[in-house]
Amino acid sequence: MSPDVCIYCQVHQPYRVNRYRVFDVGSGREYFDEARNRAILRRVADKCYLPATRLLTEAVRRSGGRFKLALSLSGTVLEQLAAWAPDALDAFRELADAGAEILGETYYHSLAALTDPGEFATQAALHRDAIARIFGRRPTVFRNTELIYDDAIGPMVRRLGYRAMLVEGAERVLGWRSPNYVYEAASAPGLCLLPRNYRLSDDVGFRFSNRDWDGWPLTAERWAAWIAGSGGQSAHLFLDYETFGEHQWEETGIFEFLRHLPGELERHGLRCVTPSELAERAPVGRLSFPTPTSWADVERDTSAWLGNRMQRAAHERLYRIGREVRALADAARLAEWRRLTTSDHCYYMCTKWFADGDVHKYFNPYESPYDGFVAYMNVLSDLEAGLPAAAPWAGVEMAVSA
Amino acid sequence: MRVLMFGWEFPPYQAGGLATATLGLVKGLLRQGLDVTLVVPFPAPAAGSTPIPELRLLSAADVPLRVRTHRIESPLAPYATAEDYVLLAERAAPAPGAHAAGSPYGRNLFEEIERYADAAAEIARREPHDVIDTHDWITFAAGIRAREVSGKPLVAHIHATELDRVGEHGNPEIVRRELAGLRAADRVIANSNTLRHQVIERYGVPADKVDVVHWGVDASAAPAEEPPELPLFDGRPTVLFLGRVTRQKGPEYFVEIAARVRRFVPGVRFLMVGAGDLLPRCIERAVELGLADCMHFAGPLSGAEVDRAYRAADVCVMPSVSEPFGLVALESLRNGTPVIVPRSSGVAEVVRHAFKADFWDVERMADQVVALLRHPELWAELADGARDEIAEPRFGLEEPARRTALSYRRTLADATAVAPAVAPAAPAAAPAPIARMETA
Repeated sequence: MSPDVCIYCQVHQPYRVNRYRVFDVGSGREYFDEARNRAILRRVADKCYLPATRLLTEAVRRSGGRFKLALSLSGTVLEQLAAWAPDALDAFRELADAGAEILGETYYHSLAALTDPGEFATQAALHRDAIARIFGRRPTVFRNTELIYDDAIGPMVRRLGYRAMLVEGAERVLGWRSPNYVYEAASAPGLCLLPRNYRLSDDVGFRFSNRDWDGWPLTAERWAAWIAGSGGQSAHLFLDYETFGEHQWEETGIFEFLRHLPGELERHGLRCVTPSELAERAPVGRLSFPTPTSWADVERDTSAWLGNRMQRAAHERLYRIGREVRALADAARLAEWRRLTTSDHCYYMCTKWFADGDVHKYFNPYESPYDGFVAYMNVLSDLEAGLPAAAPWAGVEMAVSA
Repeated sequence: MRVLMFGWEFPPYQAGGLATATLGLVKGLLRQGLDVTLVVPFPAPAAGSTPIPELRLLSAADVPLRVRTHRIESPLAPYATAEDYVLLAERAAPAPGAHAAGSPYGRNLFEEIERYADAAAEIARREPHDVIDTHDWITFAAGIRAREVSGKPLVAHIHATELDRVGEHGNPEIVRRELAGLRAADRVIANSNTLRHQVIERYGVPADKVDVVHWGVDASAAPAEEPPELPLFDGRPTVLFLGRVTRQKGPEYFVEIAARVRRFVPGVRFLMVGAGDLLPRCIERAVELGLADCMHFAGPLSGAEVDRAYRAADVCVMPSVSEPFGLVALESLRNGTPVIVPRSSGVAEVVRHAFKADFWDVERMADQVVALLRHPELWAELADGARDEIAEPRFGLEEPARRTALSYRRTLADATAVAPAVAPAAPAAAPAPIARMETA
């Protein structure tokens, strides 16, 4: 028996921070590099979002709904699309209308789940509202930032009303078990967990254009055959959407691959399912995640964002300030602070790039992780300077609670 | 393999990085099992007082010359460049006419170089060797003369060019000598890709003749314990500049950086170590910017004092206008002090755990300094990362020596493949592609 196929893609762009200098603190300089953000968004829209989304919409329609997939779009990418690439936003709407499922996540693609449960709940609610507004529906399956998950996160997501959640199929959690099944969260009964099959997913996400890889060149036919032979009940293939045309350039043949994929899946007897359909199935077992896992790097933990002292210092300072910013009841300031919670800012400070280098370097708008840290901390200094000097935040309730 | 090497500076006679680089290279080559004879212009120190006992050190000053026996009254102290030489010369005998005749440089240096070249020919006749090595323009004449005598292949190490040291308005005589040496050499070894490129583009050396060997430092030479007696170890944040106080090293930018950093870091102190023609201007500018109470001019330091200066500092800033390699960065990192290096330097090509900046971007460097002094997490990540990185073999002495030895072998193979005959040295007045420099 071949497993069913569950394809999900993540669409996200952060608001990259200006190269903020210590001299800019108190100057009123913008925190975010609008020109750069706009240029990057436009480029990605043209190279990836528009062609990939049109291709997939066409595939879903042509298959009569048998080809299925799910997408999650962060609030920060939705805002930027609306502002700078409305054509691409329309394309996503069309794909959703054709039948693609839309998942829930934190609006700001943040690490709040690890640090600030109240803020996490708020950002999840903000995202749910945005999806309802833009796509006219309420997501029932959740994917946390970069698939970050541990036993403490499960109950929070369950409380928000989600029925299932995507997680990384890390060996240290699965042990001998296959990722190709629906599991239940040990810490949150009633919440289904869909572990990513990272081998099959990374064949496309990372290795597709690698000529040193013995799987190269990867055709849709070959991939479908591998999926068919991967066992279990459902293969969870989770990718960055930017894989199509941005991480893997058009010249690599990635769009040809995508174009042939629906037909090849069908030819191999593989049936597509969406995450919400899988959430209806009976879990085969329970999974416990004592420590946080993610889909990043070889470590599959949170070290890409919080692995070094700079990252932890910046992260802790951000959330410390957050209590005071929320207490201000200044919507503009709060939105700025929330844009700073996007996980990418911490990612840019990652110093692991000697081992898993290319991925980090390719996306880093700074010359080095150290320069990324300096700019970010200067922005936080500016934000902090605008706060009442002795805000009695210790006694203030969280502005929004779960 | 027997190497006849012509050096200029060598500890304890030292003015700058050339001495450190030569010492490191010679140490490494000896460890590679090569037989090195180093010729220096100053009187050879008493046995046992050199840093490497097994090195055969010859002094050109001891060679009785048949050709020309011009003894010139000149301060036989070390000098990295003509400018430094002038400073020394002026100190020895203050003469207002030293800057006469359109040249800012004393004549004595060039005469000294000629005398050294005469001695080189004599030494090449006496000393058996397989390959000749030289370091920068100041020793090129010696190398060329030695090759005329022995017919052995000539290797030219290039550490910095006149263009690096002085910019476009360099001394035409020095440029001429650089051209002569680089073109006569059978093989050129540059200490960075940037310098290699420059040698090819600006000096017209064929690309296949130029190798790159990045320098390393002797990790075992770093002192183990903190010297507690130094008054600088009092916990105040300290920012260091270490190098010749000349245009090339950008000391004026350091003063500008200091003025900006001071606005954000209370109690900060700045330490400028080194001597050079821009020192008076730097002092004046520091006073003008109100830095008199926090900027210290330590003058040139040597040996253990240098390591102490690095250790007293929280960050070492190199705003060099030109820095073909930048050994100072490796020395600083070896002492656990993070660095800000020029983006175009050789060291920036090889060190990852460092801030990189353009020499003119004073605000950026000041920003980086402030961040390093304010955020211990940043400091620790940079310092720890760099300490691990600098311990990699590629930053030691073996790797540069191994690659240098490889260049020697390649040169020897080429020489035997073509013709063993004595090739006449290229005419010294070779056409210069750097016409702008000639007219300067």
